[in-house]
Amino acid sequence: MTAPTVWIPVALSSEIEAGASAGAVVDGKEVVVWRDTSGKAHAWEDRCPHRGMRMSFGFVRGDHIACLYHGWQYDTAGQCQYIPAHPDLDVPQTIKVMTYATKEANGVIWSTLSEEVPDEAIPGETDQVTALRSLYIDCPAAFVREALETASLPGFSASEEGTDFAALSDTVWTLTTGEDRLFIGVQRVNPSQTALHVMIAGPQATYAGAGQAHFSTWLETLRRSLEDGAPEKAASAPMTTAEVA
Amino acid sequence: MAAITLYDYELDEHCYRVRLLLTMLGLEWAPHAIDMVPGEEEKQPPMLALNPLGRLPVMRDGDLVLHGTEALLAYLARAYDGANTWLPKDAADFGRVMMWLNFSTLDLQPASQARVQALFGTTGVDAPLKEASRNAFRIMDDHMTKRGYEHGEWFVGEHVTLADLALFPSFALSRDFGIDHDEFPALRRWIRRFRNLENFTTMPGIPDYH
Ligand code: FES
Repeated sequence: MTAPTVWIPVALSSEIEAGASAGAVVDGKEVVVWRDTSGKAHAWEDRCPHRGMRMSFGFVRGDHIACLYHGWQYDTAGQCQYIPAHPDLDVPQTIKVMTYATKEANGVIWSTLSEEVPDEAIPGETDQVTALRSLYIDCPAAFVREALETASLPGFSASEEGTDFAALSDTVWTLTTGEDRLFIGVQRVNPSQTALHVMIAGPQATYAGAGQAHFSTWLETLRRSLEDGAPEKAASAPMTTAEVA
Repeated sequence: MAAITLYDYELDEHCYRVRLLLTMLGLEWAPHAIDMVPGEEEKQPPMLALNPLGRLPVMRDGDLVLHGTEALLAYLARAYDGANTWLPKDAADFGRVMMWLNFSTLDLQPASQARVQALFGTTGVDAPLKEASRNAFRIMDDHMTKRGYEHGEWFVGEHVTLADLALFPSFALSRDFGIDHDEFPALRRWIRRFRNLENFTTMPGIPDYH
């Protein structure tokens, strides 16, 4: 049985600076997300072919990522190019990290965890986005979705009533209140943990600063009530001005 | 002989905080190695004469002997940082730095205990300690996420302060006790920034990238 290939969000673009690397877990599988110094993002299996240590503990030098343990260096195709213990060795082509299809859209880094590229584009693409944050929640994705379906997102642009939830795909949700829309990439970490990579679908001129803080505070409250096992609290409790500020 | 002596154990994160500041301030100092594990030398009479609590770090600067990480950091900043950036003069920023120093002592204590269990214990890390550490890191990550919205790069104000220095080791060493950095994107960016500061120095568990 093979599931259809889908784009899965693994980080916000702004969270992975040029020359940085980080780990991410999707359905229990470890992924290293890194950005070379030319600015291109990569998502690979998080395992060094040498002894299987996590590549995400390593560091980026130019267009290579080096494993922390014995310093083996891999180029942007995952090919090992340099082994410090054998500096003169012409490294065999077979020493290669498993690389995955990777792309950036809507301020989010996406991967398929395979070399395959899905037929479907990432839904809900807009040109105007403002980075918000990634939110890691100790709850299953289905539980988070249930809460969001009835959530009341306080508007920033105007105090509109009523929030619409939409699932554009399995990994893309939106929450809309009046003019304001959150674009949410859903990463299922494991059966009990979910990461939401959240962008504001709107221009930075409108949302940078106060708007970001407004929605970030709401997300913190959401996470707290979800983890307390009471999603209805986040959904129905109106936020006080103090909480928003 | 250097003017400042730090009674020091290399694997101790509290000693590391003081080493970091001594080095980053560019001071002349010398470590006096104390065999903390397994020797418990800090609990023997010669060291008890310097600190009756039997803990490290302890520091001597001329005739002055001080113990306790916060005190050492605050003293060094006041005595040797003429620019007053590590410990700001401004009352509000001073208050904020003290708040995070307090946090590093109280709320990051579980992280410090968890690491000691992981490194020197035989039964693994107690789950409640790990949970409390993770909660503290979340609070730090939420703070730095919001700082990012106002283009703040450090925990307090425009410059790196003792707040960053005191918080840095616990997070940088968290893999020692099984907490990964995946969930804390704002802290990841912040420790990269901290590592790039002039005269930054590592300790075992905080890799030197070369
Ligand atoms: S495990 Fe990666 S270089 Fe040895």
